[in-house]
Amino acid sequence: MLRTGTPKYSFIFIVLIFTIILAGCNSKTNESSPSASVSASSSASESANAVADKTLTLSWPKDIGPLNPHQYTPNEFFAQGMYYEPLIDYGEGGKLIPKLAESWDISEDGKEYTFHLRQNVKFSDGSDFDSAVVQKNFDTILANRDMHSWLGVIAQIEKTEAIDAHTFKITLKNRYYPALQEFAVVRPLRFLGAAGFPDDGNTANEIKSPITTGPWVLTEYTKDQQAVFTRNDNYWGTKPKINKLVVKVIPDAEARVLALEKGDIDLIWGEGVISLDSFVSLKDSGKFETAISDPVASRALIVNSSKGPFADLNVRLALQHAVNKQALVEGVTNNVEKMADTIISSNFPYANIGLKPYDYNLETAKSLLDQAGWTLPEGKSVREKDGKPLEIELVYMGPDQIEKPMAAAIQSDLKQIGVSLKTTGVERELRNKRMETADFDLLFWGTYGAPYDPHNFVSTNYEPGYGIYESQQGLAMKDELHQQMKDVLLTVDEQERQKLYTSIFTILHEQAVYLPISYLTNIAVYPNYVKEFKFPAHRDETPFDTIDIQK
Amino acid sequence: MRWLAYVLNRLAMMVPVIVGASFVCFLLLRASPVDPAKAYLSVSNIVPTEQAIAAVRAELGLDRSFWSQYGHWLWQLIHFDFGISFFSKLPVAKELAARLPITATLAVSSLFIAFVISIPLGIASALRKNRIIDHISRILAFLGASIPQFWLAYLLLYFLSVKLDWFPLQGADTWIHYVLPSFTLAFALIATYSRLLRAGLLESMEEPFVLYARARGLSTYKIIIHHVLRHAIKPVITAAGMNLGKLFAGAVIVEQIFSMPGMGGFFLESVYHRDYPVIQSYVLIMAIAFVVGNLAADVIQAYLDPRLTQKTNKGE
Amino acid sequence: MEGIRRIGWTVSQHKVLSICMVLISIIVLSGLLAPLIAPNDPNFVDLMHKLEGPSKQFPLGTDQLGRCLLSRLLYGTRVSLSLALLIVTSCLVIGTIIGCFAGYIGGKVDGLVMRICDAILAIPSLILAISLIAIWGAGWKQMAVALIIVQSVYYARFIRGLVKNIKQQTYITAAKIAGTSTLRLMTRHIIPNLLPPLFIVVTLEIGWVIMDISALSFIGLGVQSPTPEWGAMINEGKSFLRSHPRLMIVPGVMIFCMVAILNLLGEALSERKGLSRLLPKWAKEAKGS
Repeated sequence: MLRTGTPKYSFIFIVLIFTIILAGCNSKTNESSPSASVSASSSASESANAVADKTLTLSWPKDIGPLNPHQYTPNEFFAQGMYYEPLIDYGEGGKLIPKLAESWDISEDGKEYTFHLRQNVKFSDGSDFDSAVVQKNFDTILANRDMHSWLGVIAQIEKTEAIDAHTFKITLKNRYYPALQEFAVVRPLRFLGAAGFPDDGNTANEIKSPITTGPWVLTEYTKDQQAVFTRNDNYWGTKPKINKLVVKVIPDAEARVLALEKGDIDLIWGEGVISLDSFVSLKDSGKFETAISDPVASRALIVNSSKGPFADLNVRLALQHAVNKQALVEGVTNNVEKMADTIISSNFPYANIGLKPYDYNLETAKSLLDQAGWTLPEGKSVREKDGKPLEIELVYMGPDQIEKPMAAAIQSDLKQIGVSLKTTGVERELRNKRMETADFDLLFWGTYGAPYDPHNFVSTNYEPGYGIYESQQGLAMKDELHQQMKDVLLTVDEQERQKLYTSIFTILHEQAVYLPISYLTNIAVYPNYVKEFKFPAHRDETPFDTIDIQK
Repeated sequence: MRWLAYVLNRLAMMVPVIVGASFVCFLLLRASPVDPAKAYLSVSNIVPTEQAIAAVRAELGLDRSFWSQYGHWLWQLIHFDFGISFFSKLPVAKELAARLPITATLAVSSLFIAFVISIPLGIASALRKNRIIDHISRILAFLGASIPQFWLAYLLLYFLSVKLDWFPLQGADTWIHYVLPSFTLAFALIATYSRLLRAGLLESMEEPFVLYARARGLSTYKIIIHHVLRHAIKPVITAAGMNLGKLFAGAVIVEQIFSMPGMGGFFLESVYHRDYPVIQSYVLIMAIAFVVGNLAADVIQAYLDPRLTQKTNKGE
Repeated sequence: MEGIRRIGWTVSQHKVLSICMVLISIIVLSGLLAPLIAPNDPNFVDLMHKLEGPSKQFPLGTDQLGRCLLSRLLYGTRVSLSLALLIVTSCLVIGTIIGCFAGYIGGKVDGLVMRICDAILAIPSLILAISLIAIWGAGWKQMAVALIIVQSVYYARFIRGLVKNIKQQTYITAAKIAGTSTLRLMTRHIIPNLLPPLFIVVTLEIGWVIMDISALSFIGLGVQSPTPEWGAMINEGKSFLRSHPRLMIVPGVMIFCMVAILNLLGEALSERKGLSRLLPKWAKEAKGS
């Protein structure tokens, strides 16, 4: 294809290479002032918005989706969450807050839940919110119950009935304490107005239009570009202070940062929506307010006790002492994530039980390995036992911008105690496959977070098939542990529940089957005219109801 | 009539190639170790319970046999239906159609840039053989063949967008967003086309009719425009026809770098999601683009040189 | 310009070859000797030293994890070169077998093989490679196999053309009449005649395969972190485009130099062997963008 042919030009070519290398060096000198480019492009971010018109523009990586409250992808969590309302809301520390249900009663046997629905609630099309429409929503949810079987309460529902216009009763097959928490989840347990249903009443494929009781109404929508929500002035509850919300779809993280700097958007918010380095540089620029939420979920390594070196408790304990979590959290996440000592953060229900953290101590780690029989042969850098080198494999999600560097850092940490760690980056689906078959020594994993934990956490631990149960097969007390996990979900008594949780968390901690690394947080960056920004306790809820704009 | 026969003949030859390509793709996808149903659940953040997997498999039609699935797909294709995306639950045709304009604009504008730069450059380097302009075009050709496309994209992005702020960083809203991505794609083409054209021109300049025209006292410029270019440009057209498919392919990377919501990025995302209907349809469209590109090039060539049609009609 | 041109004129074809050979040797050696000459462990993460500029300890500075950039580049040479060699060699073997088979037998078999090739060639090679990797999941092994499958088709076609060409030569006919067995004909006459053009093609092809490897690794489908590979390094460095463009620029320079030298070498070789007319056409087809 190229007929440069004549060799005489090799000289020119060599000159060229040098020019380019020089260009590369040039750019090196430029980078000594990293803030220069940032400050240049963010000159006086004047927004055209009038003061009276309080419009908040924010970016989101993906299109919001069809706003179907009962379906999953391509519906975006956050959009479903801000748009539709649950019966019960999840507040600080797992407190349950009445939402569309004003109050509720639970029968003695813990199987019957009677909800007293809020009166005078209207859908955005003017229709009433009553038990008939609740029934209609439950009908379609239960018609697709297989799809929703991941949510414990759905699997447990035996029947639903409308007692009167504002009383709704749900009967469960078995006792299941987290039922109330689960009524707070974003999907599928939220409510669509009757006119939004398709003719056959089944929302599995599509809805007619997104009719909601919530504070926002979709007024403009261009797929993959933007969605405009206007305040619902007939909203039954506290009305938001801003009257318009524009969600711009900006897939690229760098572009989101730029849009904020240029004043095109007023808020960047969410989990991992911009690189943590950008977050820090925006924070350091002094032009924006930044905020980091309380822990919303945990990032941890699952330690596979069912095979290999980690079948030995001492090796698992050595791992706990050998990984420098503080450095990981600082170096990789710039302290945006918070260092984790326990698998479930203590701000979660039942999790504040005062477990003693493992300290970072290479000497302890080394002596634990010695005790386990893994010793360092003369002149070698990897420990051995019976002539076998101490090699373990860490599986992580290849494209993940946090797991990848963390895996590399853990590899270097373990090298220092004579453990050879092989890091294997695979993409999402293959990682899931490895997890299900417990085909790993260590695997990056995240909990579901609020409002699903800790009850959802324990069910993923005792249910076979996801890989966690399988990875705990090396524990002597595994049967007892898994039985406690099953029992805790059936408890009615608060004290007994705490006792069981304390026991479960203590065993998991002492047996070191997880290496907690950090707690995930939501971040927010906004200019100072955005006021009263507050993170919701629920991982997937939105902060728009309290936010204000004052220019 | 001869034209029609020629085109029909070529179209008939296309069909088995396209069907073959579609089958290859279909077959390979079904050999995947990953179940798309599980992929859907994991992207939706749902714990994959057995019931949920079964429900999704049934919904996506994955519970049927291979031949039934392939037959169903072909049947749909005959009706110009590309199926329903596993992820968006929308018709693939609709999804692709929404993104096609961006990718098509990118491909066409790259070809346009490539022609606009390479034709004058080719002519100039042929006329000024071994002079400065020829060297420049030679070096360009060399760079075009040696610079990785994705790196070039970042260099342009860094120097022209970040440093000089002449172009927007990302997006596909206005024509100015297309400048850098189109140029990135065009760069390698400029290199090839200008050298091909130069070679063609130099060759044609030796033909007797050029000598005759010269003897008649026509200026070199006129000779080139009126007589020589017509012949010399043929290899460039063949190359452009072959490049059409490749332009779409290059767009996969370039669209990602410049955050353009085109077909390429959608394809890549679908690959990660194991969204079979989208992957199949996209590959099929690529195959069609490739074959049609070649056909179009041949037709233009045949138009420029009618002798070719007769040859092909006789069966090569 | 005048000066450069004059020097250019004096550089003979022979010298171009020599210069390229020297440059190639330097690169190959630096790859081979990476463990000896690299100043640091390429995978050692030191978060305390992340994103540092060039210094004595880190001649090209460090990346986002505090790893030595120069060491990663040197080790990256090994990865790219060995993968490219593996892929090209495999393609060569597969392509030769299919190409010789189809080209020598001819007739219906040839037709069928070529139609299958057509079907595969109708899908742009990068798209096909991406789809194939999608099936198996990202990783260097999967990438290598995908590229081998995709590229072998080109080799098969090319070699088939060459074989058909050689078959028509009078000395082959003569050998046939003399009763030489097919196997002997292949090994003694046809394959040796394939070698010179193949050698040049391989030179050019290694460069393109390196580009493909880096492109696939760049989009996250090829070589996985922490293995240092140039394309993957660009991918990791791209998040720091605004603050630390060095992380993106330097690995790209390496790919460019490598590919450029190989291209130049291939060109020089083909001019020497008088094969330049034959090559460009094939090259155009084979260059899976």
